[in-house]
Amino acid sequence: MIPTHWFLILSAILFTIGVMGVLTRKNGITIFMSIELMVNAVNLTFLAYARQFGQTHGLIFVFFIMAIAAAEAAVGLAIFISLYHHRDTIDVDEANLMHW
Amino acid sequence: MTAEVIIFFVFAAIAVVFALVVVLHRNPVVGALSLVASFFALAVMYVLLEAPFLAALQVIVYAGAIMVLFLFVIMLLNLQHVAEPPTRPIQQFLGYTSCAAFGIGLVYFIIKYAIVGRPAAQFPSTARDVGIRMFEAYVFPFEMVSILLLAAIVGSLLLSGRTGQGKAREVSR
Repeated sequence: MIPTHWFLILSAILFTIGVMGVLTRKNGITIFMSIELMVNAVNLTFLAYARQFGQTHGLIFVFFIMAIAAAEAAVGLAIFISLYHHRDTIDVDEANLMHW
Repeated sequence: MTAEVIIFFVFAAIAVVFALVVVLHRNPVVGALSLVASFFALAVMYVLLEAPFLAALQVIVYAGAIMVLFLFVIMLLNLQHVAEPPTRPIQQFLGYTSCAAFGIGLVYFIIKYAIVGRPAAQFPSTARDVGIRMFEAYVFPFEMVSILLLAAIVGSLLLSGRTGQGKAREVSR
């Protein structure tokens, strides 16, 4: 049986990669995919602790997080389509209407 | 070194490598497909955690639905040939180093403080257990999620609809 902290370390590494993507990339879609990566890392942590304590609550949280991630992806991609219609780019540095 | 441990390390390496490809590759199509591979490896992790129901959900919902949506939008906006202009080097260097420091700190503190004993003997994680719990204790959040999904449908239709788009374009320019 694999110890719980191995899963936690894997989750920490994946979360860090996601943070790296959000901080260093400018393509909006790539930033969005990095956010999905972070969401999945958190799901893995929830599930590791759910198994550790033998409880179903963590599983149900992962279920809800998946539903919310689906809603988030739909709305976020709609925002990027709208941005592309207005600016002809999805570079997040170009979306500076509310900047300054 | 049991088979479980070997499977864990192989699929953990797959998940991390494809996650790095998502972050570092210039082409968003390659990034999206790598993210699908990473999600499949995470589904294997869920099976190792004795949660086959959630592994199936991970493959169907994430790899099947959400990532297809991403790919669809990338193809729709024809972004696969868009070159990313060079970014500010100092800020990018700071981003990478601070991320590395954050990750090293996170792993260090997990190893130092989060090593717990053996997992519980029983883990009720079949679809039946999840369903029973969801419709007993979590009925209200379940209904809230259904309303949230409805709001997301309406919102995304409203945002990406083309009605009045010509007027909006004139205002924004």
